[in-house]
Amino acid sequence: MYDFAYHRPKSLADAVNMLKGKPEARAMSGGMTLIPTLKQRLAKPSDVVDLAGIKELAGIKVEGNNVTIGGMTKHADVATSADVKSNIPALAYLAGHIGDPQVRNRGTMGGSVANNDPAADYPAAVVALNATVTTNTRKVPADSFFKGLFETALGEGELITSISFPKAEKAAYMKFPNPASRYAMVGVFVAKTAGGVRVAVTGAGPSVFRVKAMEDALAKNFSSAAIKDIKIPADGLNSDIHGSAEYRAHLVGVMARRAVDAANK
Amino acid sequence: MIVEGQVHGGIVQGVGQALMEAAVYDKSTGQLTSGSYMDYTMPRADTVPSFKLGYKVTPCPHNPLGVKGCGEAGAIASPAAVMNAVHDALGPIGVKHVEMPATPLNVWQSIQGTHRAAAA
Ligand SMILES: Cc1cc2nc3c(=O)[nH]c(=O)nc-3n(C[C@H](O)[C@H](O)[C@H](O)COP(=O)(O)OP(=O)(O)OC[C@H]3O[C@@H](n4cnc5c(N)ncnc54)[C@H](O)[C@@H]3O)c2cc1C
Repeated sequence: MYDFAYHRPKSLADAVNMLKGKPEARAMSGGMTLIPTLKQRLAKPSDVVDLAGIKELAGIKVEGNNVTIGGMTKHADVATSADVKSNIPALAYLAGHIGDPQVRNRGTMGGSVANNDPAADYPAAVVALNATVTTNTRKVPADSFFKGLFETALGEGELITSISFPKAEKAAYMKFPNPASRYAMVGVFVAKTAGGVRVAVTGAGPSVFRVKAMEDALAKNFSSAAIKDIKIPADGLNSDIHGSAEYRAHLVGVMARRAVDAANK
Repeated sequence: MIVEGQVHGGIVQGVGQALMEAAVYDKSTGQLTSGSYMDYTMPRADTVPSFKLGYKVTPCPHNPLGVKGCGEAGAIASPAAVMNAVHDALGPIGVKHVEMPATPLNVWQSIQGTHRAAAA
């Protein structure tokens, strides 16, 4: 680890000020990703601004048709929240299958979505449910938030304050975990809402993506039979020691069908 | 208790060897790509069920107490048992060989090989 200045602001306004004009400063939520990169000297921030002391960033609220979750809300709190379980059970299920208990009790929704790891679970839920990401300066719709490998629409010093998920008529998430890390090798979130059907895939590509052909087929007939012949091209998908691009393409189909079946239960 | 614990651990170590653990090197750079537990798959408590053990006790003839080591007993038989089970399961669809460890990727690739052969 290299030297850095540590700050623990009590309000969002203070945190934003501490990050302002310091391109090498980093926010920290759960530290599950940031701290390992510091330990391996893969990052050399001038300042680390710990968001853990900011009460306004954590918590879960149900407002009308939306469940709004604060950026600092831990995965374990999403997984066990009665409000999330009753309104969007698929989201609670997803949170409960992130990593292991230690990770779920430190890692946060804001940190995970801001990091946009290609194998992270939350991006699939954000895109499939057509959620809105709220930052300290604006609201960003899901489809324009994730930009590519570890890349998002967030500007310098911009912080995720909360994410608002519309309730779904039917939804489910199915994940094929990497056998070692438990990140998603392929995760598919399927949601049927008033706005239509969305199928979002994480783990398979450089960043979360939607499968239009499946969405169209499911809009006509929301059953796994409707998508059984839809093949995902392997071109451009991730390939590593746990799964070739071809295997991931195959898993997208399997996980999507299982997700539709689970959503129909 | 100690013997049971050692055998449980040995069995799981063998299951890990059969299904999960692999030191993988990048062919062009020689870099170890399974260099941390984020990529090197160790068996964990939730990988296996609990075991009921049975014993066949035979004293060792080569020392006065008749004692012998047992720590590796589980680890020796379990990889062969697990790989035989994998081949037994896949045999009916024409799979003759699955590389160790029989990870999901390796099993799928073996099945794809037979599907391709069957299609040709
Ligand atoms: C062993 C292990 C297994 C894991 N398995 C999974 C898994 O199965 N699925 C999965 O999805 N994830 C997994 N994770 C990741 C984990 O879920 C965390 O969500 C993730 O590490 C980031 O969240 P964090 O709160 O720890 O963020 P941090 O590490 O604190 O921050 C990550 C990055 O986001 C920035 N950041 C943090 N908060 C904000 C904010 N509010 N606004 C803007 N930028 C911010 C930071 O500056 C940093 O660049 C795993 C992690 C580990 C260590």
